Amino acid sequence: MTLLDIVLIVIGEIMIGIGALADLIAAIGINRFPNFYLRLHAATIGTIWGAFLPLIGAAFVAAGCECLGEYRWFMAGGALITAFIILILGPAGSHALARGTHRSGIVPVEPKVVDHLEEDESMPTSQEKQEIGEEGGESQ
Amino acid sequence: MKHWIGICVLILTILAISFVVAANINVLLPSTNVRTLAEIYLKYTYYPWDKYFTAMSPEACTSIVWDFRGLDTVFETMVFYLAIIGAIALARGVPLKPPKEIKGEPGLSLIVKTVTKIAPVLIIAVAGSIALHGHLTPGGGFQGGATAAVAPVLILVVFSQFYLLKRGVNKNSMLLLRSIGLTGIGITAFAAVLIGLATGHYAFVLQNQPKPLAPNISLPAFVGGQLISGSLWFFNFFEFLAVAAGFTIVFLLITLPEKLAETKEEKRAAEGGEK
Repeated sequence: MTLLDIVLIVIGEIMIGIGALADLIAAIGINRFPNFYLRLHAATIGTIWGAFLPLIGAAFVAAGCECLGEYRWFMAGGALITAFIILILGPAGSHALARGTHRSGIVPVEPKVVDHLEEDESMPTSQEKQEIGEEGGESQ
Repeated sequence: MKHWIGICVLILTILAISFVVAANINVLLPSTNVRTLAEIYLKYTYYPWDKYFTAMSPEACTSIVWDFRGLDTVFETMVFYLAIIGAIALARGVPLKPPKEIKGEPGLSLIVKTVTKIAPVLIIAVAGSIALHGHLTPGGGFQGGATAAVAPVLILVVFSQFYLLKRGVNKNSMLLLRSIGLTGIGITAFAAVLIGLATGHYAFVLQNQPKPLAPNISLPAFVGGQLISGSLWFFNFFEFLAVAAGFTIVFLLITLPEKLAETKEEKRAAEGGEK
């Protein structure tokens, strides 16, 4: 076992540890946060910090573990691909949930500092939309 | 205060269950002694030294499902397709066509659509590997088909049903695919008999490898050096087509907008009521 392998394994284990901690924080957040949007925020912590990061860590551990032989590259590749899929699917899902909830208006947006999406939806003409540069999440 | 009582009870329960499991680990673990039937199955799933009893597939589940008890699985397949035929019969006469004019842009936002352009490709690739490796690794035709049917569901929700219908994924094309799958399962089941009739030997329905009463007829276990386990690969492939198409039909019918589902008589009645 070379020094590089040990470094890889330690980094991977630290990442898995951070992931476990993030999952705990996300679970507490889902229990404690008062409304839908905040709970959704906690849930996305669970998908990115609690699933994406530990999978990268698992890939590092597998790549550094010589005892697995050739198969470690299969395991590392599988973990990386799964991490990539979670990275693109998780945010898209939470975005769809948040956008759908916002458009149906069943949950009040609070605590609120600024709500660009609401401002966009209340503006009827396309001219005004062009003036603000269509920075909201409206479908085009 | 009640909070803490609940949490304490939860923690104590978890600790108690862990203690019980840890103390009785020898009783709770599955025993190493295998019953005779399981022993026979485990021995003969891949056992090229005794051609008369093996299914030539290292996957015990698939060899049991499509070889050792193949007739049962044919009946199971029949039950599943009768259910789908029932769903199609309920929706007969319902026009499954996209309207000529669609107001605005249907479906979810651009972000979700972009991701959904990537995901179904991955889903169908995984489903294909589950189905086509069904005789080597856990999985099989039904599992692969059910996985493949997730891709049209995703497109249905994200892009709207009309997106699929416009691209030819409609009731008729899926019925065609399903019929191809079912015909393939039937032909594979009778393949040994047909070969036997052509060559003048005894053979059985659903026969895979040679049997004591039909020693001359068998389906090839290897093709080009690749293990395909005789009939198992073909059963898995055709079941994959049939299940994926069948589920897609059901999902198309479930997500049909109610206004489009009106028959001509109902539309006339609704218009007459308004006048």
